[in-house]
Amino acid sequence: MTTALLVGVGAVGARAARQLIETPGLDRLLIADARPSRAAEVGDAMGDRAEIIDWQPGMGLPDEVDVVACAVPAGDDITIARDAIEAGVSCVSASDDTVTIQQLLELDDAARECGVSIIVGAGLAPGLSDVLVRHARDSFDRIDDVNVARWGAAGAASASTLRVALADRGAELRDGVIGELRKRGGEELVWFPDPVDARACEPVANGLELLSHAAPGLSRASVRYAHAEKPARGWPRRKDPINEWGALRVEVWGVRGSEREPMVFGAIDRTATAAGTVLAVATAGISGVDPHLIRREPGAHGLGGVVEPRAFLAELARRGLKVAIFEGVPVA
Amino acid sequence: MRAFRRGLIVVFVAGIAGMLMRVRGKGGVPPTNGGWRELEAPEFR
Repeated sequence: MTTALLVGVGAVGARAARQLIETPGLDRLLIADARPSRAAEVGDAMGDRAEIIDWQPGMGLPDEVDVVACAVPAGDDITIARDAIEAGVSCVSASDDTVTIQQLLELDDAARECGVSIIVGAGLAPGLSDVLVRHARDSFDRIDDVNVARWGAAGAASASTLRVALADRGAELRDGVIGELRKRGGEELVWFPDPVDARACEPVANGLELLSHAAPGLSRASVRYAHAEKPARGWPRRKDPINEWGALRVEVWGVRGSEREPMVFGAIDRTATAAGTVLAVATAGISGVDPHLIRREPGAHGLGGVVEPRAFLAELARRGLKVAIFEGVPVA
Repeated sequence: MRAFRRGLIVVFVAGIAGMLMRVRGKGGVPPTNGGWRELEAPEFR
């Protein structure tokens, strides 16, 4: 009997709950949230196999848990991951916050000692972006340049992380070293799949470190986020709240034979749905109910470092999260 | 005074040239030639 503990049922967590409850082989889903009413609402919607528990990070994991999925505001993931390591249980985090990602990766030694896996950055970007980089890596002899761009935020916590990221100076990976940019800004138009099309995106540091897990030895890598659109002030308001939709573009340059060429992937979905689906599939993979999706290696890893990309993308597609590839000639 | 007048003329001519380039220059064209195709399941296997 496999039991998963899902901590946080906000925008991403609620979508992950739906995906987890529909995962064959996952028998029980425990749900915990800082807001009991929200946990109750999601738990009731998930049916008999879901159970709401009164649990806070730092309390130590309940005995019967086999895997933990975190969809919590930046920072809470660290305490939850420590609880998981102490209990000898693997843990997956959807965080896209730079500091949280770094602190989770610092748990590598502790996770190795206890023989558990901590999967870091299982959302849209980082997350699906790293899976696509890993997938592109298989098509080239070697890849040297990766450019990731994301438009959209999944809920209030993600929007807050986005604002912090864009207020910072941003960073770039060059020859394996992440360096902070001299000044913030550096806006660039990025072409996402239709109908999102062109969005101005600025360089950020979020998830840069994880790209080198997906493709070690990169000469250059960048991550760009687009500013969230401000909701209209006047009436009538949009029925579908703005910022719910998100898009991803992953451009990978590599060498195949004697040719250096790009491979461009894109995806469009509701940001929370996409992030929740990636979190759930990664959780299913690391729990062992779907073992061909992720290699279970002790330590703290970016999703791109342990994913089996083809199987993972096929599973995402089966669940409705589809990826597109750009076919054509990029014109400078 | 003569240098000042020359400076004004240079700024004026540069402004006109800039306006012409802005009006006649290319704009609004996506910097790509091609399209997006959804990845199908066989490509994942």
